[in-house]
Amino acid sequence: MKTTRRTILKGMAGLPAMFAGLSPLAALAQQGGGDTLRVAAGKPAGDLDPHKYKGLWAIQDLIFEPLIRYGHGGKMEPALATDWQVEDDGKLFRVHLRKGVTFQDGTPWDGAAMAWNLDRWIGKESNSWMNASRLFANYKVVDGHTVEIHFKEPVLGLLNEFAYVRPVRFLSPKSVGADGAYAKPVGTGAWIEASADNNGSTFTRFDGYWGDKPDFKRIEVKVLPESRSRMAALRAGEIDLTGGDFLAPIKATEAKTLEKAGIPVSVELGTTTVVIGLNPDRNSALKDLAVRQAINIGFDRKAIGQVLYQGLAEPAGNLFPASVPLAGKRFPVPARDPVAAKKLLEDAGWKGAPIREKDGKPLKLEIVVSEEQIAGSRSLAEILQAQLGEIGIGLTIRSVDHASRHSDIPARTFDMALFTTFGAPYEPFGTIVGLLLSTYDNGVDGKLVIDPAKLDPLVLAATSAPQDKVDAAVQAIYDQMHADVSMLPLFYSPAIWAHTKRVKGFTVPATEYDLPYRGIRLES
Amino acid sequence: MRRLRDLFQALAQLPRLAFLAVGLFVLLGVLAPWLAPYDPNAQDLLATHADPSWQHWLGTDHLGRDTLSRLIVSARTSLVGMSLVLLIALSVGITIGTVAGYRRGWVEEVLMRIVDVGLAMPSLIVALAVIGIFGTGYWNMILALALAWWPGSARISRAVAVGVMNRPHIESLRVLGASPGRIYFHHLLPSTIGAVLVYATADAGAVALSIATLSFLGLGIQPPTPEWGQMLVDALPYLESAPWQVILPGLVLTLVVIGFNLLGESIALNRVPTPLPRRILLKRRAMAADWRKAAP
Repeated sequence: MKTTRRTILKGMAGLPAMFAGLSPLAALAQQGGGDTLRVAAGKPAGDLDPHKYKGLWAIQDLIFEPLIRYGHGGKMEPALATDWQVEDDGKLFRVHLRKGVTFQDGTPWDGAAMAWNLDRWIGKESNSWMNASRLFANYKVVDGHTVEIHFKEPVLGLLNEFAYVRPVRFLSPKSVGADGAYAKPVGTGAWIEASADNNGSTFTRFDGYWGDKPDFKRIEVKVLPESRSRMAALRAGEIDLTGGDFLAPIKATEAKTLEKAGIPVSVELGTTTVVIGLNPDRNSALKDLAVRQAINIGFDRKAIGQVLYQGLAEPAGNLFPASVPLAGKRFPVPARDPVAAKKLLEDAGWKGAPIREKDGKPLKLEIVVSEEQIAGSRSLAEILQAQLGEIGIGLTIRSVDHASRHSDIPARTFDMALFTTFGAPYEPFGTIVGLLLSTYDNGVDGKLVIDPAKLDPLVLAATSAPQDKVDAAVQAIYDQMHADVSMLPLFYSPAIWAHTKRVKGFTVPATEYDLPYRGIRLES
Repeated sequence: MRRLRDLFQALAQLPRLAFLAVGLFVLLGVLAPWLAPYDPNAQDLLATHADPSWQHWLGTDHLGRDTLSRLIVSARTSLVGMSLVLLIALSVGITIGTVAGYRRGWVEEVLMRIVDVGLAMPSLIVALAVIGIFGTGYWNMILALALAWWPGSARISRAVAVGVMNRPHIESLRVLGASPGRIYFHHLLPSTIGAVLVYATADAGAVALSIATLSFLGLGIQPPTPEWGQMLVDALPYLESAPWQVILPGLVLTLVVIGFNLLGESIALNRVPTPLPRRILLKRRAMAADWRKAAP
């Protein structure tokens, strides 16, 4: 055949058809979602083994289910267990398993499957941060659908622990290699992993799911590490849903920009609090109660919330927001009062200007902030610097990267630093033990307050208090910290999610660890 | 008087825009505290992101601080930082370069290999590594950048020094028995410094940019000192609602960097002999013809 201009032109005409035939994926992306919920995540899902601490929480939540689900306001909702009893003064946990449930590979969900999963994590050294694992004695499969777990001592926050994402959720016993090592993410959840790589994961609906079946057939998780590109993708309609502290955080400024662009944004009171930690051991000025009190009323929480968080963050007076169980009696939010703050310092012997002094020691503090930990924290520190400067406290700002913060906080190389509480479902005891009990090592999170003399006994009392006295015991901790001004609550972080208009029926999830697909309908 | 005239003549040869940009930068930097209409750190949380008005010519930023004042005071931050970095880097570089150029032989070999190692590493990476080890802070940043910048000036000053050492007058000095100190301090060093300063002018822009880069990353200048890179990163979340707060520091920084680059380039070009204009050439030829006639 002779090559003429005509043959080339013919070939050219055929090209688009050829490409279209070659890439069904590209064609799918062109459809504008269709029956697929497209979610943006900040990083790839990673190793989803439910008994390890590696994967992305929200993705694990799609596949694996707990015995008990943590609902809004700390309500415990039945999931793989239909019913449960805590007996023998809290040392026996009896669960009745849901009948007629199968894993995604057809393996039945029963006592044997639960026992197989328990063997993989409970009582192991690496899980002893969980009371249920640390105090575990033995378990007994009573019958096909009843399991009893015995503990050496009563377990604090037992039900909460069995609602966590890891390591307590359930993997199909068939989903392992010959050596028993984890092979594939197969759970009882509503979504089956179809593919996963560094650019994202896709999930198809599990039609044998026991609960409410999702209204749409697929979930596509796209990895977009940069928040600006996530916002652009959302506005362009390339993704449907994004948000959540751990999946893909949305900043308050971004939320406002999205709202202006007509994108529905859901903002709710979250379960975490941003708190300033003080370190009197490094800077002795902070040992003075008057100094701590003066700092507490020396800056304007409301203005900070308005300016930096666009009014989305609610100023805080307590360690926990009201959305957390056992959050305690509400303290008033400290209002800024420079005159009273100056008087406090004056009366305590801190005199002089522009920076006050006492016994020749200037009232200078250093605050450590990391933009990666809390977006906008440097600007927050600048406001503190200006406002505390007005009452004669010199504040220097050291802004560090995430890694340096992770080493600085446990090493206590800060005078002031920002902390966040852990959030549901870990509250309140996750934070109380993790951030307040000085003898408990919690790695990079460090300690918000170290006070072995006054605080530790109260924490220990609360953790071993019987059910009916827990309220008062926890309140005693809050009261002590409030009276002592040993930490300064700043504001309660909002839970921010945004979605396109074709997503209907969205509700903000109960914890930041869930992927909120439940109840969503997709309009074409 | 004559010197002053020479200076003006030299300045007139420079590209006007670059000269204006750099001149303005230096002027603002020196006079910043008197020129800034407001305290650059005075916050007004009730008037954030104000539009330009008679009170605030360029508006206010996300904490209600006057943008014009911050831009002006940032010029001083940049100018001082840049001068310190260049001062330290050039002192070290010129010393090492001239010693190598004067001594030659194995001293030169050793020193130049050290310089090679320094040049092999990108300057910003060196600076990031130093700050990573010693922590953030003003002097750490200055030293980190100086450490990143000295090899370049060492290499150039060595080349210039070798050229100077090969000139006939140094040869004559040696023959006349001048001491090494005299040759080094009175002849070699002054001629080298002049040439290297030209190089420094072109580099000043890059140093200013590096200071802004480090501050943008939160590793350089720390608040409350205003700095362009920091203003940029602070304004970035508000790119859509208040774009000017991002554009302005970026624009100023760009002008300064381009200004220094053009300036350095043109100074360097001015030092290269250009062919004489035809008119002068003809005049010279006529003069030479006169000499020939006058000769017996």
